[in-house]
Amino acid sequence: MLDRLGARRVLLIAALGVAVLVGALAATNLQSQVVYYLTPSEAKAQGVAVGQTVRLGGLVKKGSMSSADLRNANEFRFVITDGSVDVQIVATGAIPGLLREDAGAVVQGAFVADGTFQATQVIAKHDEVYTAPTAGATPAHRTAP
Amino acid sequence: MTETTIPRGNTLPRIRPWLGIAAAASFVVASVMALFWAPTDAVQGNVYRILYVHVPLAWLAYLAFVVVFLASVGWLWTKNPLFDAVAVSSAEIGVLFTGLFLVAGSIWAKPTWGVWWTWEPRLVTTAIMFVMYVGYLLLRGLSTDFSRRATRAAVFGIIAVIDVPIVHLSVLWANSLHQLPTVLRAGGAPALDSSMLLTLMVSLFAYTLIYAYFMSARVSLERARQRRLWTQI
Repeated sequence: MLDRLGARRVLLIAALGVAVLVGALAATNLQSQVVYYLTPSEAKAQGVAVGQTVRLGGLVKKGSMSSADLRNANEFRFVITDGSVDVQIVATGAIPGLLREDAGAVVQGAFVADGTFQATQVIAKHDEVYTAPTAGATPAHRTAP
Repeated sequence: MTETTIPRGNTLPRIRPWLGIAAAASFVVASVMALFWAPTDAVQGNVYRILYVHVPLAWLAYLAFVVVFLASVGWLWTKNPLFDAVAVSSAEIGVLFTGLFLVAGSIWAKPTWGVWWTWEPRLVTTAIMFVMYVGYLLLRGLSTDFSRRATRAAVFGIIAVIDVPIVHLSVLWANSLHQLPTVLRAGGAPALDSSMLLTLMVSLFAYTLIYAYFMSARVSLERARQRRLWTQI
């Protein structure tokens, strides 16, 4: 094969073969092993231990951050949900301005004994939709508190 | 060693200044549209406008690395030094654009997500892509023999391109903070208002001209270097 095709063409084919292999490995590994956050259901199913640092991701539950007296100086409370499991978050530290109900959020911290989640970092997610504001209306893909 | 005919035409050097003027002019138009003409976003307000820098730079970085792949294949197949010139030029511009859109993304992330950086799938794979192509450029410094250098770089350039689709699909494959694709996606039309989409397309056009202008200048420079340093290619 080396004589017929030439050494450089064999090298090219080998390089392409390696590329495909690397790609396949990366694709399968990315799906199963690289976990940025767990959904509340996944955290419950995996039995995440108290005190173990983990990230949770989900939607901020509607109505869970709307009460003014929940925002005191020491902690900020809201609920993260994935539609089936709710987790009460108690956050210390900076809260991003984009955090709002019915919108995505990722929190990093640990569960405590009473089942709530002590979050040291709160990150707001936004979706991929961009719309111009219309007077008096809230965008269909978001609700504001 | 085969003789390589170096093209004697002078078309490209003649149009390059006009390409540069067109790139600069369209960049100004795109920037004005992005800053003033496009509407604010109902969720993010004005801070989303960095999209018109971040997204075109990202797409052009992808394109630049695909060009590196094609030029690498071209060198291995034909041993024409023009392909090596195109490969190194596109890799340099791709690294520049990747660095720029990573910074733009970070500036966008702080007021929206709340953090400058986090190790989530899209950001991790993009950082890997950046480091790999910096590695491509460093790899070229390992050899003074033209043919060996070009062949090493070509093999690396063929393997490294695999990360480009991985970066794009990373948000679809794993739980991620970065949002799903707005334009380059399977189901449905681009998820942004028509005036925003127009501004994005004008920006893409402008940055493409900038890429083309940089490529034209850099490839010409590399060809001059080839002629000066390697008399036998």
